[in-house]
Amino acid sequence: GITDSFGAAIHALGPSQLTDGVIHRSKRMMLDTLGVGLLGTRTAVFNKAVKYSQTFRSEQRSSVWGRSDLTLPPCYAAFVNGIAVHSMDFDDTWHPATHPSGAVLPALLALAEQLPSRPSGLDLLLAFNVGIEVQGRLLRFSREAYNIPEFHPPSVVGVMGSAAASAKLLGLSPSQCSHALAIAASSAGAPLANAATQTKPLHIGNAARRGLEAARLAQAGLEGNPAVLDVDSGLGVYYKDYSPSAMPDCASGAFRWILEDQDVAFKRIPAHLAMHWLVDAALAASAELQETVWSFDPSQIRRVTLRVPPSKYIDVPLPTTEHQARHSFQFNACSALLDNKVTVASFDPAQINRPALRELLSKVEVTTPADNRPSFDDMYCEVQVETAQGGSCTARCDTFYGHWRKPLSQQDLVEKFCANASSVLSSEGVEGVID
Amino acid sequence: MLSVLQKTIRPVQAARRVHQSAVQVLKHPAPEDTVTASFGRFVSEIQPQHLSPVVLQRSKRMVLDSIGVGLIGSTTDVFELALQHCQHMYAPDYISSVYGRRDVRLSPTLAAFVNGVATHSMDFDDTWHPATHPSGAVLPAVLALSDMMPASRKPSGLDFLLAFNVGIEIQGRLMRFSNEARNIPKRFHPPTVVGPMGSAAACARLLSLDPSQCSHALAIAASLAGAPMANAATQSKPLHIGNASRLGLEAALLASRGLEASPLVLDAVAGVAGFNAFYEDYVPQPLDSPHDGHAFLLEEQDMGFKRFPAHLGMHWVADAAASVHKLLVGAGPGKVSPHQVQDILLRVPLSKYINRPFPESEHEARHSFQFNACSALLDGEVTVKSFTPAAMSRPELHALLSRVRLEHPHDNPANFNLMYGEVQVTLVGGDTVNGRCDTFYGHWRNPLTDQSLRKKFRNNAEVVLPSAKVERLIEAVDDLDRLEDCKDLLSQLQ
Repeated sequence: GITDSFGAAIHALGPSQLTDGVIHRSKRMMLDTLGVGLLGTRTAVFNKAVKYSQTFRSEQRSSVWGRSDLTLPPCYAAFVNGIAVHSMDFDDTWHPATHPSGAVLPALLALAEQLPSRPSGLDLLLAFNVGIEVQGRLLRFSREAYNIPEFHPPSVVGVMGSAAASAKLLGLSPSQCSHALAIAASSAGAPLANAATQTKPLHIGNAARRGLEAARLAQAGLEGNPAVLDVDSGLGVYYKDYSPSAMPDCASGAFRWILEDQDVAFKRIPAHLAMHWLVDAALAASAELQETVWSFDPSQIRRVTLRVPPSKYIDVPLPTTEHQARHSFQFNACSALLDNKVTVASFDPAQINRPALRELLSKVEVTTPADNRPSFDDMYCEVQVETAQGGSCTARCDTFYGHWRKPLSQQDLVEKFCANASSVLSSEGVEGVID
Repeated sequence: MLSVLQKTIRPVQAARRVHQSAVQVLKHPAPEDTVTASFGRFVSEIQPQHLSPVVLQRSKRMVLDSIGVGLIGSTTDVFELALQHCQHMYAPDYISSVYGRRDVRLSPTLAAFVNGVATHSMDFDDTWHPATHPSGAVLPAVLALSDMMPASRKPSGLDFLLAFNVGIEIQGRLMRFSNEARNIPKRFHPPTVVGPMGSAAACARLLSLDPSQCSHALAIAASLAGAPMANAATQSKPLHIGNASRLGLEAALLASRGLEASPLVLDAVAGVAGFNAFYEDYVPQPLDSPHDGHAFLLEEQDMGFKRFPAHLGMHWVADAAASVHKLLVGAGPGKVSPHQVQDILLRVPLSKYINRPFPESEHEARHSFQFNACSALLDGEVTVKSFTPAAMSRPELHALLSRVRLEHPHDNPANFNLMYGEVQVTLVGGDTVNGRCDTFYGHWRNPLTDQSLRKKFRNNAEVVLPSAKVERLIEAVDDLDRLEDCKDLLSQLQ
């Protein structure tokens, strides 16, 4: 069956199947994930999770990123590091939509520290790619994965990826790999309502943690439903339409990594991916206004019209929290117009509550043109700025810089990493990770 | 050990300082008009005097039964696996006790986990209507949390019982938000949907969290809810209850540290799925403030207790088949022989999940109309021992199994309030013997007497505890609402 094919593939995929393209792309993902994770260790949600996790005792201990003084039981290290990665919504995004790396890398690194002999870099890279690949395959089991979901996708496929990757690194048998997936399925699925709240990062943290736990339970002999991917009452419960298909035999020529054909997007702004189109458009509109209107000043703005894809979840006219701000078309447009940039600092509470920003927010209108579909592959954002003097300027972004169609250069990716990591690590530390 | 306790004392102390109504009024603004906020308020503000005598009595029976099935469940393989997993991945923590294992203690959420696994490991735990297994998701967490509280400040028995009832009540209220909850679950195993919510509510109550924190506990728990039905009737199923208990406690602990989540998680917000993600139809209702009194659902809808460790639906066919056995065997002792039997027809509701003609595992046997009917036909009853490998592999049982057919009459819906079980045995001579059960003994319409319940408890508990402890447990639960300190209960569990 399908579940068997996944178990067999997880077990059998070897370094020889890794292509140069996949190695290159997945290393970029690992670097970016480490950087955003390190930056994320300064967030309030991370600290709450660490304090909670410290109540557990264990003999096995794994590292907490960026904290040389601190170790935690491996599952909780995976938990807090995963939370750090997603804490600022700064981590990678794929198509169909999920945040694949944050669910996998923290689990693998926590697990790697526990293995009797250290895995090689290639072992780690292979397990990482197994975790990504499984997520990509599962997302393709439903057309719904291309739309706005009921369940936050990282909570559905992330835990499955973490279980697969962990099972790979543990060297589990094909049957154990299948059971790891089955056990993980019972830990999947968090509703979207908690996205844009402080709890959202826990969706990734828990995906990493519980996937690792599922692999460990499978290793101990626990069994779940061996057809969990095949039946509608298995993973299919998270989707309205569900049409699974088997993993091809990896020894045959038929196997091809999804990452080979579909790259991830890396974010330049710690906000929901859709904000990237909007910010690029807003900056372009603002630049044009500055060129064409003599001494243009944001206070001259009379109205801002945003033409965006329909999505209630990121349509937040008056955000009050940092999490809401990262998921608000209105906020990101106004930040860009006011400051000519949107950065990590744009989401500080002080910045969110600025009177100038609140005032500009009140002038924003959001419309959802029929041709603008809520898909990261098809959407666009348009920003029209009208001034009190009667001027108007419209800019549109079809593909932001960082999207898989227009990937970050290696230099810019490394620069993002350095900026993030140096807030936590010394410069030797930063350089060491890049190498 | 002390430093660990100190770390865990702080959130409790902080919460208790706030638990004064005058201070609450000053600190918190007028409550919002959302379903989620109403639930948070209820959990925070309900008081012991709202527990009626009927609710007290019924919930104490639930506590007793749940402990008993947890104790016998501590002898199962899946429990052993879960316990070893916890002990391997984590160090012993001297805080929360593990059912039936002297001197074995774990961190509170891990103890809640393994005790929850034990409770559901044999499918022997209580069942409600709409269907879920409410106590196993709540009691282990409340016990583990009580163990966590400092010795000088343990909850009273009444506080304990109130927290427990809050956990049950919240589950019942949530299930009434959807008609789907009344049917056979197709997608999510109900204990995984409402169980973590009940556990979070009970623990939030025991921690004396304020209304806002209680709401957030529920919202955090919602992100931990929901497991697919495919894993029911596998070895993973007991983990559904174990995790419900553990994750609800975790949600409450995270909320007590200030973690926030969606303030609208229970409300139906178009375009942003909350708790309604788990149901196709969903109409939430706010809970009224308890100030003018509150009628717990347990008052109008009692619990079903199982007489043997199998899916609730099995109890109807077992009782029907047992009556046929009695007719065949007559007044004296005797056996039913497969040679007498030509055909066995079962008239039962339509449900793939419990239709297993030749179950291969113990888990499958507990979810097989055919197996339970034939066991009762052969032996006159189904017991714990009916699911041992030896009993399951008997040739005479297999002979009977091969003669079973099922029919699904239209008037027999897959609903624990309405279903019946009929067994029609056609003998080799051509005679037929019929048995029918509309309401099995143990169902909420025909509840186990206190004596029967205690007998079940003793049979279970004495497998792992000495009878002196068993009797003390019975007394402690009976006196629970009058105990000043619940440690009298906590200290007898291992």
